[in-house]
Amino acid sequence: MTFPYPQVSPFVKFRTAARFFPPLPTPPDFRDFLLFTPPCLAVMGAESADAAEVIPSFLSDTAAKVFVAGQRGLVGSAIHRKLVALGFTNLLLCTHTDLDLTRQADVEAFFAAERPRYVIVAAAKVGGIHANSSYPADFIAVNLQIQTNIIDAALRCAGGAVRKLLFLGSSCIYPKHAPQPIPESALLSGPLEPTNEWYAIAKIAGIKMCQAYRIQHGLDAISSMPTNLYGPQDNFHPENSHVLPALIRRFHNAKVAGDKEVVVWGTGSPLREFLHVDDLADAVVFLMDRYSGLEHVNVGSGKEVTIKELAELVKEVVGFKGELVWDKTKPDGTPRKLMDSSKLAAMGWEAKIPLRQGLADTYNWYVENVVEH
Amino acid sequence: MTFSAPVSPLLDCNTLSTVADSGDIVSFVSLMESMGASPEDQTEVVASFLSDTDAKVFVAGHRGLVGSAIHRKLVALGFTKLLLRTHAEVDLTRQADVEAFFAAERPRYVIVAAAKVGGIHANSTYPADFIAVNLQIQTNIIDASLRCTGGAVSKLFFLGSSCIYPKHAPQPIPESALLSGPLEPTNEWYAVAKIAGIKMCQAYRIQHGLDAISAMPTNLYGPQDNFHPENSHVLPALIRRFHNAKISGANEVVVWGTGSPLREFLHVDDLADAVVFLMDRYSGLEHVNVGSGKEVTIKELAELVKEVVGFQGDLVWDKTKPDGTPRKLMDSSMLAGMGWEAKIPLREGLADTYKWYVDNVVDN
Repeated sequence: MTFPYPQVSPFVKFRTAARFFPPLPTPPDFRDFLLFTPPCLAVMGAESADAAEVIPSFLSDTAAKVFVAGQRGLVGSAIHRKLVALGFTNLLLCTHTDLDLTRQADVEAFFAAERPRYVIVAAAKVGGIHANSSYPADFIAVNLQIQTNIIDAALRCAGGAVRKLLFLGSSCIYPKHAPQPIPESALLSGPLEPTNEWYAIAKIAGIKMCQAYRIQHGLDAISSMPTNLYGPQDNFHPENSHVLPALIRRFHNAKVAGDKEVVVWGTGSPLREFLHVDDLADAVVFLMDRYSGLEHVNVGSGKEVTIKELAELVKEVVGFKGELVWDKTKPDGTPRKLMDSSKLAAMGWEAKIPLRQGLADTYNWYVENVVEH
Repeated sequence: MTFSAPVSPLLDCNTLSTVADSGDIVSFVSLMESMGASPEDQTEVVASFLSDTDAKVFVAGHRGLVGSAIHRKLVALGFTKLLLRTHAEVDLTRQADVEAFFAAERPRYVIVAAAKVGGIHANSTYPADFIAVNLQIQTNIIDASLRCTGGAVSKLFFLGSSCIYPKHAPQPIPESALLSGPLEPTNEWYAVAKIAGIKMCQAYRIQHGLDAISAMPTNLYGPQDNFHPENSHVLPALIRRFHNAKISGANEVVVWGTGSPLREFLHVDDLADAVVFLMDRYSGLEHVNVGSGKEVTIKELAELVKEVVGFQGDLVWDKTKPDGTPRKLMDSSMLAGMGWEAKIPLREGLADTYKWYVDNVVDN
């Protein structure tokens, strides 16, 4: 028996399950679906031999083949670590040289040969403001190709083997002037931030593809949008990195060089939210196990810090003894950016890694893996 | 030496849109000469599209409403090397096939009129097809145009539709309304794909200098339209219904609503004319609205169709049924500012379309 609409683990309480079925434009399907759950079938006189195969929950399905696309990146590597820790034994590992996700035929052949049961799309072309404005074509085209190839092949080329797919984006899909905290409903409600609109448009199309494939084909495809991430395997490049790894690198270099001060742009007053990538990986497996809704899900820590607090914390964790100086003549950037993660919180998930601890862990990784000794 | 935005030297520079490049291009030749360049140093002057009738032109989707009109137009203008491929010959959703086709053919001009299109019912039943097929077609074509022809593609034209705009866009709808608010849910799948196509054209222009432009037409009608009883849009649906009523001798035709909503229509031959105009004159980053600028009420439209078809019975309005959005009109002033306007009045366009319908669709 196939479910026309979201497949839900029988371990999920039906009260919570109902919350995952938002009203569709054409509603009849999901109510029909609820009638075919095992208890209702029994009431209607079905024998146990008639019952459909019970689908195991993701977390219990540790022998199943899982494809984590992009498992060498910041996000993919954290998800990979998490799955290994949870006892998953059949993880498909593919690098870009093994499989070019922008090549449709290669992705299709891969899915036909491997037939993974679970697919996590953590592969993307990512970068900061400078990279987006220099390589807009790469940012939109490569991301569109990767996600279109994977989602389509997951449906059409695996002989129905793919049971669930999780698509990852980022908070920059939201409008430039979205209300703060940013709820899921802010999607497409206003103009995008021009500096990353190429990436954002591609990711929005990915969310919509997941929804469309669920509606038309019943593919259990979900999307999650994390806030600013940090952690091991991040990009610490002098020009391309984001604010947190940039601060780590700069304070470390200043400490090693014996500098008197580190100058940071702005006043330090803007508020930002950060999430350790291991927390994100935890949320990913949580959602894989529990969520089969149409709407994408924000994943944030819900905790804001000012850039000033962040810089002081990094300085302390790194152990730089000099001065932290603010160049108030330089721009601050957007005053506040916080995701509204209440939808995920209501499902029962929360971030566990405090910023200080996460920074220490990240700095430790940085010293061992990036710094040349 | 290549121009990032090739412009015909025959062009009156006042008609160029506001693009940072255009000023550079306009003075380039004279600047070169003032810097001491002699004629033999100068690069090949890029021919204007309209004069380049020997060049290979690929019209993707040449059998659809829009593609067939563009095909007709190009033939009428004397283009002799039109690349036309059916879906069976080249499946535009297959990346490798599109790349091989572009590598083999190396067209100079590419017009993307191929898409998966349909009305409200089709969009809500097949959302995956509407987003994925359109993303695949346009991503494959734009990318192959850049990377697979050894630089042969000199210009690419991408077509969308007015439904890319937000549901509550100001009326008339200017180009700047793009992404300014939520989409109309009934066609958001198609709309997101087309918006991504516009953005891809812009991105490829910025990063690679590909001369890729986009145009968004208003509601189209004309020969080769879809007259299907369930899937067609309002204008072809009215034609079919009045025709059937005339043939069967029915007393009346009932139309839903009050007839008061305002709509804009453009004959597809006018669109084709705008396409070649823009291919010849426009190399800007922003997409361009293509409309007639003329609104009619649904009531006026229905009465006009009744008259053109020659149905003698009554036209009755079922006011209990919904009207749909009160007004939908594109702001085509950007295109008008370049000097283009639609030429086919609605009555004449309807007569032409009805004649095509009778000759080609009706079983005689």
